[in-house]
Amino acid sequence: MAAVLAQVAVSGLLLGGVYALISIGLTLIFGVMRVVNFAHGEFLMIAMYATFWLFQLYGLDPYVSIFIVTALLFLAGLLTQATIVRPVLRGSPAMQIFATVGLSIVLQNAALIVWKGDYRSVDTAYSRAVLSIGPLQVGVSRLTAFVVALAITIALFYFLKKTYLGKAIRCVAQDKTAALLMGVNISRINLITFGIGTALVGVAGAVLMPIYPVFPTVGTYFVLIAFVVVVLGGMGNVTGAFLGGLIIGLVEAFSGFYVPALKEAIYFVVFILVLLIRPTGLFGVVGAEEVGLK
Amino acid sequence: MIAKEREILGERLEGKRARIDPSLYVLAALIVVAAAFTLVVKDKFYLHVLIMIMFYAAASSAWNIIGGFGGQLSLGHAAFYGIGAYTSTLLFINFGISPWIGMLAGGAISVIIAAIIGYPSFRLRGPFFTLVTIAFAVVLRILAVSAQDITKGSIGLSVPFRPSPQNFIFRDLSTYALVALGFMVIMILVSMWIERSRVGYYLAAVREDEDAAQALGVNTTRYKLIALLVSAFFTSLAGTFYAQYIAYIEPYGVFALDFSVLLAMIAIIGGMGTVWGPVAGAFIVTPLGEFLRANLGGGLQGLDLVVYGTVLILMVILLPGGVVPSIAERLKRGPKRKTAGATAAAKEAP
Amino acid sequence: MILKVEGVTKTFGGLAALKGVSFEVAEGTILGLIGPNGAGKTTLFNVISGFYGPDKGDVLFAGEPVSYLKAYEICHRGLTRTFQVAKPFGNLTVIQNVMVGSFLRASNPGQARAQAMEAMEFVGLAGQEDKVARSLTISDRKRLEVARALATRPRVLLLDEVMAGLNPTELVEMLDIIKRIRQSGVTLIVIEHIMAAIMNVSEQILVLHHGEKIAEGPPQEVARDKRVIEAYLGEEYLLA
Repeated sequence: MAAVLAQVAVSGLLLGGVYALISIGLTLIFGVMRVVNFAHGEFLMIAMYATFWLFQLYGLDPYVSIFIVTALLFLAGLLTQATIVRPVLRGSPAMQIFATVGLSIVLQNAALIVWKGDYRSVDTAYSRAVLSIGPLQVGVSRLTAFVVALAITIALFYFLKKTYLGKAIRCVAQDKTAALLMGVNISRINLITFGIGTALVGVAGAVLMPIYPVFPTVGTYFVLIAFVVVVLGGMGNVTGAFLGGLIIGLVEAFSGFYVPALKEAIYFVVFILVLLIRPTGLFGVVGAEEVGLK
Repeated sequence: MIAKEREILGERLEGKRARIDPSLYVLAALIVVAAAFTLVVKDKFYLHVLIMIMFYAAASSAWNIIGGFGGQLSLGHAAFYGIGAYTSTLLFINFGISPWIGMLAGGAISVIIAAIIGYPSFRLRGPFFTLVTIAFAVVLRILAVSAQDITKGSIGLSVPFRPSPQNFIFRDLSTYALVALGFMVIMILVSMWIERSRVGYYLAAVREDEDAAQALGVNTTRYKLIALLVSAFFTSLAGTFYAQYIAYIEPYGVFALDFSVLLAMIAIIGGMGTVWGPVAGAFIVTPLGEFLRANLGGGLQGLDLVVYGTVLILMVILLPGGVVPSIAERLKRGPKRKTAGATAAAKEAP
Repeated sequence: MILKVEGVTKTFGGLAALKGVSFEVAEGTILGLIGPNGAGKTTLFNVISGFYGPDKGDVLFAGEPVSYLKAYEICHRGLTRTFQVAKPFGNLTVIQNVMVGSFLRASNPGQARAQAMEAMEFVGLAGQEDKVARSLTISDRKRLEVARALATRPRVLLLDEVMAGLNPTELVEMLDIIKRIRQSGVTLIVIEHIMAAIMNVSEQILVLHHGEKIAEGPPQEVARDKRVIEAYLGEEYLLA
């Protein structure tokens, strides 16, 4: 029994790593711009489709196309921020929400028109391979996804803590006015942050392709999970998003094991509970006003 | 001395004249035109489009009460819509209860759920409130799918075709159109009442500045809750109408995030927080969608939503106030000149 | 005594914004609340009007303890406050702004509008009903702030630096408004930095410094008080 539970836990953690990767971009963007990017899931969807087509048309292995897809998504993020997000930053939160909601609708349905609703998968030589580590069976693609997620997260930490740009980003997240007074170019930081946030989703999309199929509404499924993770970890808190991802991965794995029928409902219940009981999440302090704690 | 008295009198008369709200004239005209259309046009497609327009005008007006007037962006209104649809349908299929009554029952349940959800959720600001509403609608959808014994899960429920007035099932579309018209008119009147009442003023104050509102004696949570309950009730009625009109409901359709977004989108395009915004929005958006869907067929399924989404983004960036307020702005500049002229003339006279 | 503040203490983190402040206000009088910047005057207003709860002490309004009540409840009881930086409802018109206030006591829109007009005439804003609040001058914003508060028909009105930013003519007009408010039977507590004005119009003065009451009494006494002069030493104050 212990072996079975350990198995469930490992599956949960591995997938949790990917959830973390998807969510970190979302939380970073919120931390800096106080904008919830409702189109975040659609960027994941685009990343997954990009990975799929690179594989389908050019035979590029997803782990190779990570670089291309990430760059592509980074540019997409810059473009989105410049054309859609920036004009509404000065507006009311309502307009910000609807700008990204509108984008989400456009992207989802454009994908539906262009690529139709079929589920597409990437099947490489190893995508279904399983490693035996002691008593545990570990899927190779899931393990790789987790390792990549972990590596990227560590790289991001290093970037935020040690580099000037990273520190500038943290400054803007903490206190925009102070950052402005210190000579930080807020516009540029907003732009770059959005780009980075989307690029992270690009990585996630590439490593997810061997594991999950892609279809136009796949973004909705993952973005809701990302929201739960981000709220659980604390909006704007990157560590929180990582740990939150792992926790949600575990919650999902265990509820899938014990109560499969209500698996989907479990994390929404978690979500609602967190929002109502401790809206700042486990680690969050940033954005506390937005969450109505005064 | 006399000139001044004339001036004051002129202003007082002006004030009296302005009291008959132009909105009522517009409403009367709208009723006449829509009713005429209903009775004259026989083409099923056009009647369907008209019904959909008025349906969305009503449903979006219901959303507008909490979303526009209340300033609380719910993207989970499908929850109330679904509750309305399922309640009246289940009562009708299982107990033969007239959907008119089932509609009210659904409304009552929606109000209770709204109170339970709304009260703790109002502590959350901005996107966090929106996220909670989305989550609630999803939970309800999941429940509807899993409670197979009651709801038949994803298979959905069909409303049996037993036409009669008390069954809220009609043979011809014109009758449905008249019901939809009635619903739309009721929502317009409700919105008009709210706008000029204490509820409307207090909601506007809360939207603008919650602290200042509190300092003036406004119990902000209570009024947001009132707006939510009214909104939930009427959205629920829309759900029943839909069930009776389309005669088939299933969880992914009635608890859909897309529907919640559409309600909000229509109000935003037309003008959030105004009486005519949702109506104008529905007249703009709905025909567009229906025609796109009808003419482009399967090949470009989803094009209507791409168009909606693009329009939404453009509106939000370029015209955040919406269509109606911008038109209202232009109209205001006209009559103002008349007033100035009248007072000036009064001044001139000895 | 329509208002009694007893031993009110309010701390934020490590900082004590108010330390054991006690005083009383007689009905129908004007109490001037002065003190150097950061003395805790607005914090005191926030406590009295229910925006903050005191950590220690109590506030008694017309003999009833109110410190546990929410801000809007206290307004219902008859105590209204204005804000240091005016908070008009920017997108609403002037009359709509004031009507938010008058709806507290009026039972229908017609009555609310009529009462709002009265309040507007009282402060000299008549004729500006349909102006969008955002577009008002500072002086008119301050008047709007007062009109809105008056529309709630308060027994006690707390005015927070309502004269800041006004030119000499506007100052005189505002002082006149304040006097007429008192004349109508409303009790006033006024935070001000413009000394001549406030000393001129108040029956009592209360001086706060670093969260503590350092002087209380008629203006002439307080003006001669050594501790008050010391607190203001090095502070610039206006003799309008």
